[in-house]
Amino acid sequence: MIPYRLIALIATLALSSPALAEIGRVKRVVGQAWVERSGQKLAPAPGFALSKGDTLATGRDGRLSITFIDNTRFSAGPNSRIALSEFRFDETSHKGQFVTKVDRGSLAVVSGQIAKEDPKAMQVRTPTSLLGVRGTRFVVNVP
Amino acid sequence: MIRASLARLPIALPFLTLATACATPSVLLLDGENGAKTGAVAVIDESDGSDRAVVSEPNTKASIGDGTVRQRPAEPSDRDRALVADLPTAPTSYTLYFLEDSTDLAPGSEAVLSALLAEVAARPGADVQIIGHTDRLGSGDDNDRLSMARAQEIRAALITRGLDPDATRASGRGERDPLVATEDGISEPRNRRVEVVVR
Repeated sequence: MIPYRLIALIATLALSSPALAEIGRVKRVVGQAWVERSGQKLAPAPGFALSKGDTLATGRDGRLSITFIDNTRFSAGPNSRIALSEFRFDETSHKGQFVTKVDRGSLAVVSGQIAKEDPKAMQVRTPTSLLGVRGTRFVVNVP
Repeated sequence: MIRASLARLPIALPFLTLATACATPSVLLLDGENGAKTGAVAVIDESDGSDRAVVSEPNTKASIGDGTVRQRPAEPSDRDRALVADLPTAPTSYTLYFLEDSTDLAPGSEAVLSALLAEVAARPGADVQIIGHTDRLGSGDDNDRLSMARAQEIRAALITRGLDPDATRASGRGERDPLVATEDGISEPRNRRVEVVVR
């Protein structure tokens, strides 16, 4: 009975306070730039670890550069709002899923291992369309 | 009636084009980085998952509004160039080799370790991924474990040399990524290695 309760307790704790899994790191911050997480507005510095569900936000002079754990690289321009909606990456098999939502602003992307392993696994959503990333370098602008 | 509206078209068109260019989201496909092959970006039809359009030529801009996807050749604007210049430096990769069926480093590994530590110090907000690889001797599962053990060994060594444990990850790819392709069951020293990626 006791071991079972202990296991249940550990399971409950694990579910109620999940450790934030790192999906990438901020490499450069210029001007006004924030990471929004569970309603909080955090000020990132180089080395800041990002999690799934974070939203990148920049002001009129703000820019943010990020490298993800699958080697995907992002550069977000001024007046941007970009959500890291979905990110899964198995470091052994390289299988994963990466969905980014660009609500407004601009984003340059060099895709990494997730798109290389499966050409259907990486997508970028804009207010009017859904893009499938087939292993490449590109810029998205959402006025 | 038809003739009259056609006559008005050339005047109306420039305004239409201008309005579209300002208000519609767009995607600009660039060439691959450092001579890499250009990939593609597809505009997906969400009703059935098929491709509405595929942009596959470098320096092509596609409007991606609600309507038809229009593609045209376009050089990156100054803003686009600034954005690309802001991308983080591409990750750098270092390779360390092992003696057969062990986690002992091959002779000559010291210089590589020093070079990668210098690279970490030179990158603001650096993080490091240590990826173990094996040859195709032994089973796939054993090789997954061996590759992870090699990666963890290097991780421990790099942490004692000053790397931040929180920013240093270990993973094993087993025999999935050989440097040199071989038949199964073949001992190949060049595939018994650990790759250290500095991001």
